[in-house]
Formats: sequence, structure tokens, C-alpha cells
Amino acid sequence: METTIEVNHLCKAYGRVNAVNDICFSVRRGEIFGLLGANGAGKSTVIECILGTKKYHSGSVAILGMNPVTERKKVFEQVGVQFQEANYQDQIRVGELCEVTASLYKTHSDYRLLLSQFDLTDKIKSPVRELSGGQKQRLFIVLALIPAPEVIFFDELTTGLDPKARRDVWKSLSELKGKGMTILLSSHFMDEVEALCDRIMILKKGECIFCGTVEQAIVESPFDKFEDSYLWFSEGASYESI
Amino acid sequence: MKAFKALVSAELKLSFRGVDMFIFAICMPIVVLVFIGMLYGDRAAFEGASYTFLEQSFGAVSTIAICAGGVMGLPLVIADYRHRKILKRFKVTPVSPTMILLVQVLVYALYSFVSLLSVYAVGALCFGFVLKGSWLHFIGAYLMVMLSMFSIGILVGGIAPNSKIAGVAASVLYFPMLILSGATLPYEIMPAALQKLANVLPLTQGIKLIKAASLGLSMEAVFSSILIMCLIAVFCSTVSILFFKWE
Repeated sequence: METTIEVNHLCKAYGRVNAVNDICFSVRRGEIFGLLGANGAGKSTVIECILGTKKYHSGSVAILGMNPVTERKKVFEQVGVQFQEANYQDQIRVGELCEVTASLYKTHSDYRLLLSQFDLTDKIKSPVRELSGGQKQRLFIVLALIPAPEVIFFDELTTGLDPKARRDVWKSLSELKGKGMTILLSSHFMDEVEALCDRIMILKKGECIFCGTVEQAIVESPFDKFEDSYLWFSEGASYESI
Repeated sequence: MKAFKALVSAELKLSFRGVDMFIFAICMPIVVLVFIGMLYGDRAAFEGASYTFLEQSFGAVSTIAICAGGVMGLPLVIADYRHRKILKRFKVTPVSPTMILLVQVLVYALYSFVSLLSVYAVGALCFGFVLKGSWLHFIGAYLMVMLSMFSIGILVGGIAPNSKIAGVAASVLYFPMLILSGATLPYEIMPAALQKLANVLPLTQGIKLIKAASLGLSMEAVFSSILIMCLIAVFCSTVSILFFKWE
């Protein structure tokens, strides 16, 4: 299978602190790859280094075989991104934000369909800032999907969503994956990771401490539940299950 | 082009939603012009002048919108869009974040042109104003002042570490220029000491230039003002390009 995201020996430091140290992984087309780790473990930094919004010190990164910094215009025709923080104009309405987002791409999906798929059709005239946390999060997923991307990045995919909305998002993403979309996501929810991710990487203080499938993670740990295995990996061998 | 059009339309809508530019760039110049017209009307600008006080003030009043958009609107919006990570978001799209800055420049330029037209219309209809100088010189001078004022605004917004500092810097630039440069309070009625102080402000020099063009006076007399406008534009643009903070 074709590799869509390739990260080799990525290193990034803030001052003397290593934020990301020698990270290597590759994601194939149609795969969902999860980045896990405690807050501050370096998930967002890895994502931003891949996207080119943060500079890295050494290593290399390629999306769809291209350098996201030097071939930015070409790469981001085919890449959708949802950042952790909201980035929209103060008074802008849902429909306007979608319209402007769609206009940035040569080809794009019909945002009205996406809004209805994520149950936001009746919010099209509402100011974005008046949406609830869950509605905003769903809108940001819609925005990331507007370019009809081949590769998509979600930083904290379903934070703030209620259980029903999370299930709906999982279902949509599984369908997109079925159509060959590559997804890289970071998440704090182990049920989500188990349900969605083909492979995962667990980060701790910027270093990779596990990379493989969820099943492998369980096998390599002394536990039989993934959440326990994850905590065992990220907190060290002293972790004890409740 | 599709993106540019969509952005212009969205940013214009957003700008109308926050009424401030309508008040400070469109209404205020008209109010000032009406006041000057009613107080000094068709009185000669000074003993033996070949033009009226209102004709003399027209150029100055027409810069109020440039001042509002350039040193208040632009720095605030740039700092705000950086703070909201909108510029960063554009970095992960095929469109450069420079595009949204250009769109903002265009939005404020449009406000200035609308203001110029409305001030002219009010002047012509209510006070019989006629532009004595050449329109070509006038528009040239107007664009030059706009370029230099907007470059100041982009510089302030581009290098301010946060929205708060951008807001303070914008106020420090805007209010003295609005009041002391002659844009609202006519330069000619200021005491000599105040005039000296006002001469330091970039907009004062810009207004001298626009006045000369609008009254059809010799442009050689305001050569130093032209030079100052150019230097400001070159300096601010260079520093902005070198030190602009995208996030």
C-alpha cells in the first residue's frame, strides 16, 4: 500500500527541552493512525511539525510524497486539518465560514451535505461563537472535510462531544477510511482509539514508547484492557490497575 | 481569485457587523465637514486667499477615513487574526495567509474611497465645493497618503506581541493624528507651538500634500512631504516583511 504520511527521525526542541525526539512512523493510504500520550507529551507538536506550522530541527516529513513547507499549495489542496483551538473570525456565521473555507480549494465537497451529515443544517445562519462546544467541534470536523481531502489531521478529535455525537463521528470516519482516506488523529479516549485506529503511537515526553496495533499494546503489557495497557506504557511499569 | 472574492465578501460583511468603521470612517468625516462648512463656510481661508476655508479643509477631512482604517482598523484586525490563529489556519490551506491581509487592506481602502466620495458629495451639494486642483494630482496624493498610513498600520499589527499592545499602539497613533494633524481640527487655526508639534505627525505631512493637490498649489512646495510619505511607506513595509509575526 502507498505511504501517505512519512515521518523520519523528527526532532524538535524548545530551548533546551526536547519536545519531540527522534520520532519515526509512516501511515498508509486508508489507514487511521492514532497519536496518544498525556497532555504535553508532544502530540500536537508532532502534528504541527508534520503540517509545517512548526519548524523542526532535524529529520524529515512528507505528506503524499511532498514536502508540506516547500510544496504547501499543492499539499494542502488534498489535506484537511482540524486544530485543537478554534480559529475563526469573531462575528462569522457557520455558513459563511464554510463558504470561505470551500473557496480556498480548487475542488471541494458540498458543505451543505457535510453540515447535514453532522447534524448542523439548522445552524447555518448562527454565529459560530454561539454554538455549543460539541456543535463547534462537529463544525471543525466539517471544515476539515470540506476540501474532500486524501489525508486528514484531527488534533483531539472528539473532545467535547456527547456519546451519541462521538459514535456518529466514528461512523463517518470509518466510512471515509473505507473510501481510502488516510486519517491521523490524536485522542485521549481509549475506546475511540480502539474503535478507530489501525495503528497507534504512544508518546511520552516527546519520545515514542510504543508503536503498533492496539492488540500488540495489550499483549506487550501485563494487562488485558487497552486503557490499562496505555497507562502502563505512559506512566511506566509502576502503574497498577484499579 | 475565487478565494479572494469569497474572502472580500465575507470580510466586508464582518466589518459591517462591527459598526465602528461606519462611524469613524464614514460618518465622522461628514460631520466634521458639515461643522467646518457651517462655522467657516465660504469665508476666505485667510486674508487675500484665492480659496475658501472649506476648500482648504476638504483634503484634510478626506484623510479621516484613511487614518481610522490605517492606524486603527488594520493593526487591530491583524493582531486579532493572529491571536485567533486565523493566519495559522491559512498556512494549512492552499491559500497563503498574505491573502487575508491583502483583503483587509482592500476593505479599508474601500472605506476610504467611500468616505472620500461621500465627503465630496456633501461638500459639493451643501457648500458648493469645487476641487481647484487636478483630480489626478489629488488622487495620486490620496493614494500616497493611504499607502504610507496603511503601511504604519500593518507594521504595528504585524509586530505587536498581542492584541492588547496592538490596541494601545493603535490608540497612541490614532488619536493624536486625528486631533492634531489637521484632519478634524483645522491646522490653520492651531497656535504656532501646536503646529510645530503637529508637524512631527506623519499624517500632518500627508495632509499638507493632499491640500496642495486639492487646491492646485505648487507641488514643489510640498516636496518634503512627498519624500516623508515615501520614506514611511518604504521603511514600514520593509520592517513588516522582515519581522511580521504570523503567530
